[in-house]
Amino acid sequence: MSVETPPILQVQELKKSFAVHRGFLQRKGGSIQAVDGVDLEIQPHQTLGLVGESGCGKSTVARLILRLLPPDSGRIIFEGSEITDLDEQAFKPLRKRIQMIFQDPYSSLNPRMTVAQSIGEGVRMAGIRSKADQRRRIEQLLDMVGMPKASADRYPHEFSGGQRQRVGIARALSVSPRLILCDEPISALDVSIQAQIINLLKDLQQELGLSYLFISHDLNVVSYICDHVCVMYRGQIMEAAPAGALFDSPCHPYTLKLLAAIPGSKTSEKSKSLATDRSSIAATACRFGEQCPDATAACQGQILGLREVAPGHFVRCCLKNEALK
Amino acid sequence: MASSTDIVLKVEDLRVQFHGDGPVSRAVDGVDFEIRNGETVCIVGESGCGKTVTALAVMGLLPQPPARIAGGRILFGGESLLEMPSSGLRALRGKRMAMVFQEPMTSLNPVFTIGDQISEAILVHEAVTTADARRRTIQLLEDVGITDPGKRIDDYPHQLSGGQRQRAMIAMALACGPELMIADEPTTALDVTVQAQILQLLKRLQQHSRMAIQYITHDLGVVATIADRVYVMYAGMIFEQGTTGHIFNNPRHPYTMALLDSLPTREKRGQRLYSIPGSVPHPAYKPSGCPFHPRCPHRRPSCVDAFPEMCDYGEGHLARCPILYGMERDSA
Repeated sequence: MSVETPPILQVQELKKSFAVHRGFLQRKGGSIQAVDGVDLEIQPHQTLGLVGESGCGKSTVARLILRLLPPDSGRIIFEGSEITDLDEQAFKPLRKRIQMIFQDPYSSLNPRMTVAQSIGEGVRMAGIRSKADQRRRIEQLLDMVGMPKASADRYPHEFSGGQRQRVGIARALSVSPRLILCDEPISALDVSIQAQIINLLKDLQQELGLSYLFISHDLNVVSYICDHVCVMYRGQIMEAAPAGALFDSPCHPYTLKLLAAIPGSKTSEKSKSLATDRSSIAATACRFGEQCPDATAACQGQILGLREVAPGHFVRCCLKNEALK
Repeated sequence: MASSTDIVLKVEDLRVQFHGDGPVSRAVDGVDFEIRNGETVCIVGESGCGKTVTALAVMGLLPQPPARIAGGRILFGGESLLEMPSSGLRALRGKRMAMVFQEPMTSLNPVFTIGDQISEAILVHEAVTTADARRRTIQLLEDVGITDPGKRIDDYPHQLSGGQRQRAMIAMALACGPELMIADEPTTALDVTVQAQILQLLKRLQQHSRMAIQYITHDLGVVATIADRVYVMYAGMIFEQGTTGHIFNNPRHPYTMALLDSLPTREKRGQRLYSIPGSVPHPAYKPSGCPFHPRCPHRRPSCVDAFPEMCDYGEGHLARCPILYGMERDSA
């Protein structure tokens, strides 16, 4: 399947830990493994969903890809070439190829710059020199995201959340990127506005052949928009599969728990109660062990890798490994 | 039909205005609703539609000024809250009605332990000893599912996770066994799995106590999970009301229909989502006639001027759209 079309982005064994500072003197007291060996692949013109609860490391993954944070180890391969060890100078042109849309449209736009100034920075970076051409491009970008031309000379505070998010998208598009990392792009928006932005993202993907990394905690949205989905828990990918397979036949106990938690879902009534004797499970290598309703003593000491349970469907769970044997 | 003695809270034609520098904001513009014993009623709406202001008006927590209650009545157990002196309201708040807020970190006091804050609610309203209050606090923490409550009672809010803090807030609201709990987006700031736990907790608590819950949210998924009856709010008015079944299976107002159509789900994959054009009007600049008319797919010229009256579809299902009501009647 991926033989003829190489993925636009590959992430291999990506790791990042943060030091934890404690007390008044801020002494270093251990560290948190925020991203612990993450592998991802995004195919051209496709959308990869990255889901998980807050603190699972999904935003950190996006920041590592964009080099807003340096990774501890691992490889990031963009359009076939490795970009992990590029210095800042060499990485700069890649920032035009990979862009990001942020969750909060209120804090991600500079309040003292007009819309034209915000988008104009990218337009200049893209190499458009003459003022008239820049203006034309800004107006074209605004048109692409469904904003009137007149909004170019207004300031962010004059717009609603949905309109600001459109400006954020126009700014990301200003450098003609191939890949856009969308970090919870709709969760700060009103219900009636969310659909507008989702439709816009899908339209732009079709028109411009964009690829998306779509970070979200909302499984309904992910099931609607994504082609592939990775489920993350405490820094690791627990399950990765094509969207259809993940929602039809979820394997990992954590994925099942997430699906059951969707409000209004049929399974949400009865969530499994935890097994009684948890003491044997605490020592397992599985991140989800302590929370896992299916965990048994057999989980103990197992080495946990991602295993393919069906074509393209990977699961990190020793119980599923057992079932395979 | 339930008798009128069952009704815990009845709000009639409530109007709240905000007076600032600019034009007057009519945040709540003639809202009627009622909540019965043991019932969970959801008030659904987008930000700025007036759902929180309605709740704060019921609790008597609106800062006046800038807010001004311009009309209407709020009856709690038959007593009119708007005419009650503030001392009477204080005796009621926290004892017979309580509120849980969206962001537990900002509504808990960071310099007191959660035990202090929960037992304060008991000590203010009831003549009990400090030791008794502490015992009851531990019991409350256990009821809301906090593990090891004997230890956690002496924790400060920052030592708890978001879900635990919200549980502590709920414990505080439950402290005096209220008849009505108003929960304002209590799970919006929480993860989905924690949200599911909190919703289950509220349901379980309600089964034990016959407490009525007024649940405010913008999340239709949450509504489907917990509500008995639903009020859909837009621009400071109730646009549709009915049982959860009415609203989800047989919506009668174009706004409700549009909200349901615009939800992304797996079944709609590959189709374009319905999106409501435009955005929610500012409460100071509401469109004339039906406030939804600029965004409505069923708009008629008359909608621009004529105020939409509530149309009765029977069984407590009402919707504020005379156009669809007329079409329904003509085809029948």
